[in-house]
Amino acid sequence: KRKFEPGTQRFELHKKAQASLNAGLDLKQAVQLPHGEDLNDWVAVHVVDFFNRINLIYGTISDSCTDQTCPVMSGGPRYEYRWQDEHKYKKPTALPAPKYMSLLMDWIEVQINNEHIFPTNIGTPFPKTFMQVAKKILSRLFRVFVHVYIHHFDRVSHMGAEAHVNTCYKHFFYFVTEFNLIDQKELEPLSQWFILLAVTVEAVPG
Amino acid sequence: MAMTGGMAAPLPMSNHTRERVTVAKLTLEHFYSTLLTQHEEREMRQKKLEKVMDEEGLPDEEKSMRRSLHARKETEFLRLKRTRLGLDDFESLKVIGRGAFGEVRLVQKKDTGHIYAMKILRKADMLEKEQVAHIRAERDILVEADGAWVVKMFYSFQDKRNLYLIMEFLPGGDMMTLLMKKDTLSEEATQFYIAETVLAIDSIHQLGFIHRDIKPDNLLLDSRGHVKLSDFGLCTGLKKAHRTEFYRNLTHNPPSDFSETWKKNRRQLAYSTVGTPDYIAPEVFLQTGYNKLCDWWSLGVIMYEMLIGYPPFCSETPQETYRKVMNWRETLTFPPEVPISERAKEMILRYCTDAENRIGSGSVDEIKSNPFFESVDWEHIRERPAAISIDIKSIDDTSNFDDFPESDILQPVANVTEPDFKSKDWVFLNYTYKRFEGLTQRGTIPTYMKAGKA
Ligand SMILES: Nc1ncnc2c1ncn2[C@@H]1O[C@H](COP(=O)(O)OP(=O)(O)OP(=O)(O)O)[C@@H](O)[C@H]1O
Repeated sequence: KRKFEPGTQRFELHKKAQASLNAGLDLKQAVQLPHGEDLNDWVAVHVVDFFNRINLIYGTISDSCTDQTCPVMSGGPRYEYRWQDEHKYKKPTALPAPKYMSLLMDWIEVQINNEHIFPTNIGTPFPKTFMQVAKKILSRLFRVFVHVYIHHFDRVSHMGAEAHVNTCYKHFFYFVTEFNLIDQKELEPLSQWFILLAVTVEAVPG
Repeated sequence: MAMTGGMAAPLPMSNHTRERVTVAKLTLEHFYSTLLTQHEEREMRQKKLEKVMDEEGLPDEEKSMRRSLHARKETEFLRLKRTRLGLDDFESLKVIGRGAFGEVRLVQKKDTGHIYAMKILRKADMLEKEQVAHIRAERDILVEADGAWVVKMFYSFQDKRNLYLIMEFLPGGDMMTLLMKKDTLSEEATQFYIAETVLAIDSIHQLGFIHRDIKPDNLLLDSRGHVKLSDFGLCTGLKKAHRTEFYRNLTHNPPSDFSETWKKNRRQLAYSTVGTPDYIAPEVFLQTGYNKLCDWWSLGVIMYEMLIGYPPFCSETPQETYRKVMNWRETLTFPPEVPISERAKEMILRYCTDAENRIGSGSVDEIKSNPFFESVDWEHIRERPAAISIDIKSIDDTSNFDDFPESDILQPVANVTEPDFKSKDWVFLNYTYKRFEGLTQRGTIPTYMKAGKA
């Protein structure tokens, strides 16, 4: 187990990362595929739930995330995210964060409301491409976490919402790693947070 | 939970943002506490299946078949969780009841054809009347209470104007309507209804709830004529959100629509926000506290009404009724022109007495063993024929309900200008509930109903 010296920046960060909703719930266990469950259905319901919650989280910081504060969607100086879709942005394009977010959320909403990709009728099978789409949605949602943590965490603190965001992230992280849904490479920007959160989980079981 | 770090410089936050933050935090908190329950419930269901199969001593082959059947039900539930339910998914057939904050309609789910009762509650009214705590309580108990004695709730959702509760439809109507039709009931029928209501009340007491507003309007009859409790609008749990002093200002707020005789006004009163004080125990009106025994008082009042034809404290005005309830020692009398048995009279007086001496303070067995209930088969009462059988012809038979005029509660508002109550919307947050059983048990509509419309 790691130790952090009080007073250091890492310690402060550690303290913040530790805050999580004490729901008495082992998230690592909660994400596991229940006995006999269909993997596609399990992933689908999580994707929709994560979308709703992450959307909500971004909504709380959205008025401090402007074209001026974030002229390019990024996660710190090392990671820049470019938008690409089948419509206006055929080539990966650097966009201000608010624009990028709104395209991202709209795009996801279209996917999850598409009955051919996310069937809700009992018995309708998922398309073969479902897992691909789900992975793409999850890696894009992950970027929202990256941006919020790296650029807007002061706002999150100010709102007293660290515990909420951390819990959601922890849940998200366990989920995507359990089923290998996001490339290790994509997860890098938050690896620091991951270590902190992982330590927390060990130290405070449940 | 709130962290104080060096880096959090106070940023200006608009009211709008502040609200959004509140919503987000509440939603997340709710989500993660629900996640825990759902996780546990799912494990319970699996364990129960295994236990039942072991008890039945099933061969392995049969077991694995049952397991995959169970897994399929769980998968269906996951799908339905992703399905957004809204008003569009139901066709409204008829208004079958009215309450203070909205109405109850017979509806049919368009895709399955299943029939339900839909209770519609106007948000604006409820906020005005500070009913939020009550509706919370209603949701909590409907969701928690399981079993035969409580009206089942299957889904709930909301839109800008209303909350919607989709419940099982009880075609037998309510006890208030039955009593208005019949005037009085025989002692035998009274014994049956009171006995079933004893079990119903006890079942919610065992969950830690006090109903506090047991009255004939809230006793519904299922297709076989058996009793179920509905309306937990005022039901008070042990949670803080359930506590509101609804009747505190009763004496200062005479409703204007109250005059003439009791029977004529009975229905009016049922629709008013004041409610009828006829069935409420005296200690509930006092600020000194009360406990679950208050529900047994209400039962005594109902029993009196069943046998005598009107409740013991009924008067021209709620104020007068209230006064009579408080002075029950003088006002609780039995009219000589309506003779009832000594046992029945004794039973009523064991319910309608001061809380310290009231029956049921030990346990419910004290009530069950009262001579009035002699020969009641407590174990099987629900399976046996009811005192009065219910006659229903078709899936949408509402002959046991009075007629209500169509209302505009479902009319979409033209040009929705964000009304005032919108800013308080978070109170209704997470008002979305889907019941595992209701979603996956396809047999919820009794066969006699299917025959009518196919
Ligand atoms: N599940 C149901 N099936 C059939 N009828 C119902 C059902 N629920 C309610 N009703 C009918 O609608 C009437 C009003 O319902 P309910 O008492 O729940 O409304 P309410 O708004 O809570 O009224 P109040 O709070 O004033 O008692 C009932 O008396 C009954 O006749």
